[in-house]
Amino acid sequence: MKARGTLAAALASAGILLAGWQAGTQAGGVSTLASGTTSSGTTGSGPTAAGATGASGTGSSGTGASGTGSSGTGASGTGSSGSASTAAGTYKGSAVQTRFGAVQVQITVASGKITDVTALQLTDDDRKSVQISNRAAPLLRSEVLSAQSADVQTISGATVTSNAYLTSLQAAIDAANL
Amino acid sequence: MTTQRLPARPAYSNSGQPGFPTLPTDRPAGGWFTRRHRQRMVRADLLTVIAWASVAAAVALWLADGGAASISSPAGAFTAAGIVAGLAGMDLVLLMLLLAARIPYIDRTIGHDRALEFHRKLGKPSLYLLLAHGVLLATGYGLAEGLDPLSESVALWVQVPDMWLAFVSMALFIAVVATSLVAVRRRFPYEFWYVVHLLTYVAVGTSLPHQFSVGGLFAEGTWQRWYWLAVCIATGAALAYFRVLQPFVATSRHQLTVSRVEVVAPGVVNISMTGRRLHRLAGSGGRFFIWRFLAPGMWWHPHPFSLSAEPAVSGPDGAGTLRITVRNLGSGSAQLVRLRKGTRVAVEGPYGLLSTEARVRNKVVMIGAGIGITPLRALLETTPFAPGEASVLLRGHTGQELYLSNEILELCRARGARLFHLPGPRSRGRSGWLPQEAVSGGYDLRAFVPDVADSDVYVCGPAGWADSVITDAKDAGVPEDQIHHERFDW
Repeated sequence: MKARGTLAAALASAGILLAGWQAGTQAGGVSTLASGTTSSGTTGSGPTAAGATGASGTGSSGTGASGTGSSGTGASGTGSSGSASTAAGTYKGSAVQTRFGAVQVQITVASGKITDVTALQLTDDDRKSVQISNRAAPLLRSEVLSAQSADVQTISGATVTSNAYLTSLQAAIDAANL
Repeated sequence: MTTQRLPARPAYSNSGQPGFPTLPTDRPAGGWFTRRHRQRMVRADLLTVIAWASVAAAVALWLADGGAASISSPAGAFTAAGIVAGLAGMDLVLLMLLLAARIPYIDRTIGHDRALEFHRKLGKPSLYLLLAHGVLLATGYGLAEGLDPLSESVALWVQVPDMWLAFVSMALFIAVVATSLVAVRRRFPYEFWYVVHLLTYVAVGTSLPHQFSVGGLFAEGTWQRWYWLAVCIATGAALAYFRVLQPFVATSRHQLTVSRVEVVAPGVVNISMTGRRLHRLAGSGGRFFIWRFLAPGMWWHPHPFSLSAEPAVSGPDGAGTLRITVRNLGSGSAQLVRLRKGTRVAVEGPYGLLSTEARVRNKVVMIGAGIGITPLRALLETTPFAPGEASVLLRGHTGQELYLSNEILELCRARGARLFHLPGPRSRGRSGWLPQEAVSGGYDLRAFVPDVADSDVYVCGPAGWADSVITDAKDAGVPEDQIHHERFDW
């Protein structure tokens, strides 16, 4: 009697795990495909020239094969020229690693002001992170644009993403010598 | 040897006894209880399957989310292991809560005491899984961010909403399991135990927010979130219904009041109660209830006692009396001697499987010691058997400790059961449950009941004594299914 129960339990458990595995491998395929399509280019090229304002709007999350070495070092974004003063152009912040994925932003500067913030990469390790990023990025962008600095409130419920976003942003601001 | 032997009277017909259960005269080939027993075994298997499947399902939630694909780096592997440990650990915690929720289905299938035994067994594994969950995730997240696990934990506490609650919850879980283990060993008062266990609800409650807000698996819009919500809510509802609402309903339905407190032996009292609709308490279910006597200084103390006399319905609407027999075991039961007539009584139950529900065979043997005799008296009153097919063995240090032995003698006479009184100091050697006298005289269980292997054996008494009876019963060839024992001294 006991053996029967144990056997049935083992079979049922194995079946459930297998079904989960099966569903997981299928879902995994779909999700990589989905994130692949949402990745918007803009990476790869170095600092863009003035006036060009790569902007490309839409802070979409870009995973795919967007290189972005995981170096969490200081500003990896390089200014457009060696001149000390702030020049108009786009500046990339450092790629900040979080446990939900890397975060990297790019700012567009014109006449000493931040005119746009673009998220090159946002936390996207899982559906939840994508969801959070999609919610937090526009809010952070508008806050940053009005404050003109990285000194803004983090978004509640998206603390990790916010902190990484603002760290990367600060690196970009430093690079732009604002 | 003062063994008193009451010979069975097969010729005695119990048809003239309206109070006693009657059996259909045509006995099916397998016996009266075969079908019911088979059903109970199927239910037990079903419960086993549900328990294991729920753990598998918790892990499958993660697998279905493509979790296995994330194991590509050491950080990912740690994180994955941490998530799986958390899911399995929480599932075990929910199972523990369900086992302690006194759900009738579980109670009628494996019995209240075995449910609690499983509950206890799950305590340590679930704590270890939850600890592993915390450590593995702090390590995994730390590796991904280049932090050591400790700094990562601090960062989690400070930065991530709901995470500080999760840390509080972990501390509470550790406290609950540790104190439970110590309490079992040191025999802390029941009240202490009770308060510690109330903390479990706080521990589970504080662990819930982070499961839904921090864990990506249960993000809004995922089916996993719905499943987990459903499981948590169902568990909470079961607890609220069976442990809070049901007792209130039963208490107001039966309106029990103490009608008589009578000392039957030094430190032992019969407590009779009157109430309404008692026929609803008199089903074939378990025979032990949790009583609270609603008097100042007593109402908060729950007493688990079995009936020592079946509810006797005398008036309309099930009005009647029932009785419990209580020995002065602790500070709580000492108060009961001073119980006044007219005290209202709150009741929870019935629980347990020391009842007809557990029967397998047509023949029955009841072995009781000390105050453990009293539940058998109620069982002897109701459980069906043909005259000559039941034996009752009563054990006590002295003849005085064979509580209710006169009533039991009457019942045995009326129903045609063999009765043995076994007083005297206990055997030091083998068969520790028997008196020294009986063992040295060459008596063992089979000497008293030759056909014990073909009988249901009900055992009720102190834990060590009962273990000794069960060992002898197994040696005498009684299959485990036929041994019915309920701990009453917890």
